Amino acid sequence: MTELVQAIVNGLQMGFLYALVAVGLTIIWGLMEMINFAHGEFLMLGMFGAWGLSAGLGLDPLLAIVPLGLAMYGFGVLVYRCLMRRVQGGDPFTQIFATIGLLFLLQNAVVAGFTSDYRFVGDSLLARLSGAKLRLLGITFGVPLLAAAGLALLLFLALYLLIERTEFGLALQATSEDRDAARLVGIRPQRMFAIAWGLGAALVAIAGAILVNFFAVYPQVGLQFTVLAYAIVALGGFGSILGTLLAALVVGVIQSVTVVYLPPAFKDAFVFASYLLIGLFRPHGLFGRF
Amino acid sequence: MGRLALAVGVVAAIVYPIPLQLQGTTYYQTVGFLVLINAMLGLGWNVIGGWAGQFDFGPQVFFGVGASTAWLGLPAAVAVAVVVCALLTYPLTRLRGHYFAIATVAIWMIAQPIGATWEFIGGSQGLFIPVKARASVAASALSLQFSGPTKALGYYYSALALFALTLALMALVERSKLGYYFRAIRDDQEAAEGIGIDSRLYKVLARSITAAVFAAAGVLYAFWALSVFPEQVLELNWSTLPIMATVVGGIGRLWGPVLGAVILIPIAQIMSTTLGTGPLAGRGIDLIVYGLIIVLIAAFRPTGLLSLPWGRWFRRRRPATPAPAP
Repeated sequence: MTELVQAIVNGLQMGFLYALVAVGLTIIWGLMEMINFAHGEFLMLGMFGAWGLSAGLGLDPLLAIVPLGLAMYGFGVLVYRCLMRRVQGGDPFTQIFATIGLLFLLQNAVVAGFTSDYRFVGDSLLARLSGAKLRLLGITFGVPLLAAAGLALLLFLALYLLIERTEFGLALQATSEDRDAARLVGIRPQRMFAIAWGLGAALVAIAGAILVNFFAVYPQVGLQFTVLAYAIVALGGFGSILGTLLAALVVGVIQSVTVVYLPPAFKDAFVFASYLLIGLFRPHGLFGRF
Repeated sequence: MGRLALAVGVVAAIVYPIPLQLQGTTYYQTVGFLVLINAMLGLGWNVIGGWAGQFDFGPQVFFGVGASTAWLGLPAAVAVAVVVCALLTYPLTRLRGHYFAIATVAIWMIAQPIGATWEFIGGSQGLFIPVKARASVAASALSLQFSGPTKALGYYYSALALFALTLALMALVERSKLGYYFRAIRDDQEAAEGIGIDSRLYKVLARSITAAVFAAAGVLYAFWALSVFPEQVLELNWSTLPIMATVVGGIGRLWGPVLGAVILIPIAQIMSTTLGTGPLAGRGIDLIVYGLIIVLIAAFRPTGLLSLPWGRWFRRRRPATPAPAP
């Protein structure tokens, strides 16, 4: 029994990290309805950036969030302005392939520059805390994971307020709903899309800076997180920020509970099996607004 | 013009390995083999992705099914893959667009650990196909087993034969009622249903054709490699390369995947020979080139290279004929 509760608690903590990876995708894919297969590569760039700042300048990954977030915001805007704006009007499949091309380009540019070796961030605040554990009613909470989960929750809350409670968020939603109508009331859709891409890239880079405390960094690291992120966004229902958070928590719990009873190779398989099962009964996700 | 290009292509494909065989280099025959396999896979993906317009990112599952059941022989392995595909795909056709695409990925994600742990299909140790000496060329060709100095040559021509068969079948499908139904569903599913096309049934049919082609290629690959490791035959590359080839050549066009494979697949080989053992060898430069090509195609010519006005560029300009007198 304790084992199961422990697994659920661990799953929830991982779920917050997944939520952070997925939320950048919610904005670009879910809210703005643009596909970004290079999302994992944005994450990888964030992780590499955090590793570089830590190895080169001795900056803690948690502090690296600020410069990385700003830099990746610029990168996201650039990707939209130079590439995605061009393919936006056409068939949806052009978006898929433009971003798949971007995926290959970014991933292998990093391979060319840094090789595919695994890298670790040696000395960071969260790594130093790694021994620390909180025990409550026989359940162990790892302090670093707990801190990261708290941070993720905070960011999530800020984003939720930004999208749902501010005029800017309303403008974003209006753009995704009806571009022409948005233009009539004085919103510039191109600008909104650029900001959405910037925000998405910045958020996933921040996720990268947090994840770097727990996972090795290598150029192909993105894929394992993005396939989960795609399932999470679809499971949560497109464009629903709260739905994304809940779906991420569900995914984290499914994974860690699966590992208790089955070989670890099956942990992602169960997440996707649940996606299929839920998809059959609720084709628009758990919290989709349809 | 089109006929001339076709004739040149056919002759080139048949003659290509002969000087290499006389010279004794089998490397470029293997490159040709890979081009043909990927062109064939692209033709298969074009049915579900190009004609039926459903984004299938998990057809490599059926490549894996074909390779794992290769010991049953080609027809039986294809039949197994088609049945598995039809059973798996029917429930998925409730989902549309993005949701369908993710569901195909989901099936691939579930297939991987099953492949890695199921001992019946080799699991972690892999399956090995015993090499049997065949008495005659005909016996080798029928059992898809070649060995010795003509191994690469034999597999090149087997791949060419399977590729030609696939191409001929696809040409038939393209012009048949089936092909029109697929494209009707892609262009407007509601309208297609309105005129009585059962969209779910035809999506399953489209994906089953794709699965059959992938399974056939998987069988050929298994006999060529002589061993089947689940993580190898379920690799993402078995779908991404053919899909990229289709897009580069022209999605939804019969010859699109063929042109794309001829352009894309040799790039990796050319890169590895030109970079040799230099500092950039093995650093994914070929994939950077792939990425660039795909981004440029998507940004500037999303309908693919075949959609460029080749006829206008290459046809000799005729003197303008005077308008007939009224």
